[in-house]
Amino acid sequence: MNNLFTRKTLDNGINLYTCSTDKFKTITICAFIHQSLEKVTATKTALLPFVLKRGSHDFPSSRVINRYLEELYGADFGGDILKKGERQIIQFFIEMVNPMHVGAEDRILDEGLKLFKDVLLNPATEGSGFKKVYVEQEKDVLKRNIESLFNDKFSYAIERCFQEMCKDEPFSIYKYGSISDLQEINSENLYGYYKTVMSSSPIDIFVLGEVDEEQIYEKFNRIFSFERQEKKIPKTIVKKNVDREKFVEEKQDVNQGKLSIGFRTGTCYGDEDFYALIMFNSILGGGPHSKLFQNVREKESLAYYAFSRLEKTKGLMLVSCGIDFDNLEKTIDIIKKQIKDIKEGQISDYEFESSRRSLINSYREAADSPPMIISLYLDGIINGVEESIEEIIAKIQRVTKEDVVRVAGKVTLDTIYFLNKK
Amino acid sequence: MQMDLIGETLFYRQFDNGLKAYVLPKKNYNKVYAVYSTRYGSIDSEFVVPGTGERLKVPEGIAHFLEHKMFEMSYGNVFDKFAELGTSSNAYTNYTNTTYLFSTTTAFEESLRLLLEFVETPYFTEDSVEKEKGIITQELRMYEDDPEWQVLLNLLKALYHRHPVREDIGGTVESIQKIDVDTLYKCYNTFYHPSNMVLFVTGAVEPEKVFDLIMEHEKNKELAPQDEIMRIYPEEPDTIYKHQVETKLSVSQPIFLMGFKDTEVGYDGEELLKKEITTSLLLEVLFGRSSVVYERLYEEGLIDDRFSFSYEGQKDYGFCTIGGETKDPVKLRDELVKSISEVKEKGLSREDFERVKKKYLGDFIQGFNSLEFIANSFVSYYHRNINIFDYPRFLKQVTFEEASRRLYSFFDFNRMAVSTVYPKN
Repeated sequence: MNNLFTRKTLDNGINLYTCSTDKFKTITICAFIHQSLEKVTATKTALLPFVLKRGSHDFPSSRVINRYLEELYGADFGGDILKKGERQIIQFFIEMVNPMHVGAEDRILDEGLKLFKDVLLNPATEGSGFKKVYVEQEKDVLKRNIESLFNDKFSYAIERCFQEMCKDEPFSIYKYGSISDLQEINSENLYGYYKTVMSSSPIDIFVLGEVDEEQIYEKFNRIFSFERQEKKIPKTIVKKNVDREKFVEEKQDVNQGKLSIGFRTGTCYGDEDFYALIMFNSILGGGPHSKLFQNVREKESLAYYAFSRLEKTKGLMLVSCGIDFDNLEKTIDIIKKQIKDIKEGQISDYEFESSRRSLINSYREAADSPPMIISLYLDGIINGVEESIEEIIAKIQRVTKEDVVRVAGKVTLDTIYFLNKK
Repeated sequence: MQMDLIGETLFYRQFDNGLKAYVLPKKNYNKVYAVYSTRYGSIDSEFVVPGTGERLKVPEGIAHFLEHKMFEMSYGNVFDKFAELGTSSNAYTNYTNTTYLFSTTTAFEESLRLLLEFVETPYFTEDSVEKEKGIITQELRMYEDDPEWQVLLNLLKALYHRHPVREDIGGTVESIQKIDVDTLYKCYNTFYHPSNMVLFVTGAVEPEKVFDLIMEHEKNKELAPQDEIMRIYPEEPDTIYKHQVETKLSVSQPIFLMGFKDTEVGYDGEELLKKEITTSLLLEVLFGRSSVVYERLYEEGLIDDRFSFSYEGQKDYGFCTIGGETKDPVKLRDELVKSISEVKEKGLSREDFERVKKKYLGDFIQGFNSLEFIANSFVSYYHRNINIFDYPRFLKQVTFEEASRRLYSFFDFNRMAVSTVYPKN
């Protein structure tokens, strides 16, 4: 697959990426509105997509929106928050069935766009703010949403490890912000903030499906024609010295211990060494071929899952497993031993080649999924990298064991987090 | 044989030993996704061993345990072989079936041979069975801390007196201790006969090549034909066991799940599909995002957009679930009951019903973007004697009158149970 998307800039500076293909049954439109991840704005940013989704000028309530979507053969529409590195991104998407599969009613695209535009640009207001009741209700929903991270011990342990590890860095801010910052948000100041966001944030819009690229460009240029003055988003801080290994333990009434270990790699997407880093991560914990799966699960039966994964914009690596409370030390020792082995070049041909093939397989597979395609390109945009999936694969092909050992040398354990029983 | 739908063609062949294979080619895709699935799930806990006539009751969780152990071969772990090919492999067990799968972009033929080989080769040793108990114990512990899973398990325990759907798919830490090599072989030999299995391949493949490869592999596997497997389920009353179950877990606010027990059971195929579609449409009309009820409960702060509902219809059982996190489970229950009563009094809206049908057609078509959706839905329906390609046709056929009838028969408050997880402390 070559560079899939045609990139054009609208007159007001919004980037539009289009790809016409009949590969998929749907037409997907995705908008990403980028913010710098900062304590003072994070909660407001997090609240915005949820308030906007509640209703717009022409579609005054969620119920009206949902009836409309059902008429469009169950088009999927939504908004949410992503966190990539020290960047907080408001995401809106609409996915519509390609009209030809439901009897050639090609109004679906235009009608979907009408809703998409109205929700983003023409929100339901009263006085000088958003509709008050929507803001108050969504503050309450967001509060519960932030609290409910606690229910999912798997994600909770990972998030807590990152928070402890990056205590003094913006990265420690939760993507949905904080409950304490919710109090001072009201319909007026949120609306003011919304206007600032729309007029000053970098915006990327993706269109993927069977469309006429020229027509799409003209439509978007007409719809998104408001005045904007874009600000720049500062780059995520990747390099940070680790003085000493931290250990954080938290106690809850749980049946299984959750171990999360955070590492700094000093390498992010866009660096020469990045492809060696993803190979390193795959060898360590990227699947059944990996050292963690083989040693923590298969040899010692300590865990059902044991893996590692990368946060590629911030250059962090996280190891995670669920274990019996008594096995903490033993498990940590085994994990540390695996990393030490890689640093010393103890990588078997089996581990190395399986990792390479597994990575190539997953990149090729990504090209079969609209959300995955868009997500990969978005990562590229954020990190200033423009490359196709085939180019990524070619770079993975060139990585040697020496490269992996070199990049492993930069990987430093920062924080061990353990969720223990009471 | 072939069937066409929304620009897709399904190819089919049956082999001499009874195995059926289906191929849905997706030319523009890079990936191939294949599943090999047996009609054997956690509810098949008592059966007659074919040949010997022995009536056997097996420990809870054994179908899932067997799934784990199938990856073991005399030469080691088959995961490793897939990894060498750059293929990712996995498996899952649910109430009614066990499914092995792989996805690959580069080594389809080798991967398919490997899938056939390992699913058709049982190899269990005492040591490896013992070691697996440690891994599965951690898997079960993980679910013990999962409130969404616990709230569902408790609901099923409330809805059913005896049917094995009330037991955890993975069994319990105690029940899996009773599993041994001998019983694993007995289960394998009963349920992994080709006549009880199906193979489905979708993605960048040519059907004829896939069939030839399977033929080549299967031709040396002469298996005695096997009659229909005798599965023994306990007599299950129409009533429910309990109206409510509560438990406490480490959660931030209560988690609520309400369910109705379906008593119009006993059939599969077309009838089952029609019942499933009708019931799902009803739930959507009643509680979907476009419903008055959803709007009211959301605005009252009793639910949020994680509120969901679903219907599960199998031959011998059926139930729906409705729920999510809530600050006030008692009030939410009352509100939901009230809203069902109101619709029963006033009748269903024809307009809502027709609109929701449109949504379901679109959702079905959207699903065909995903090879995983296609294959997993195919086998799930296949085991209920339904061809997924019939879905749009039956969706169109389901009438407003049928849905109205089902509204009264299914939503019977005598067969309603509520399960709640409350925060500890």
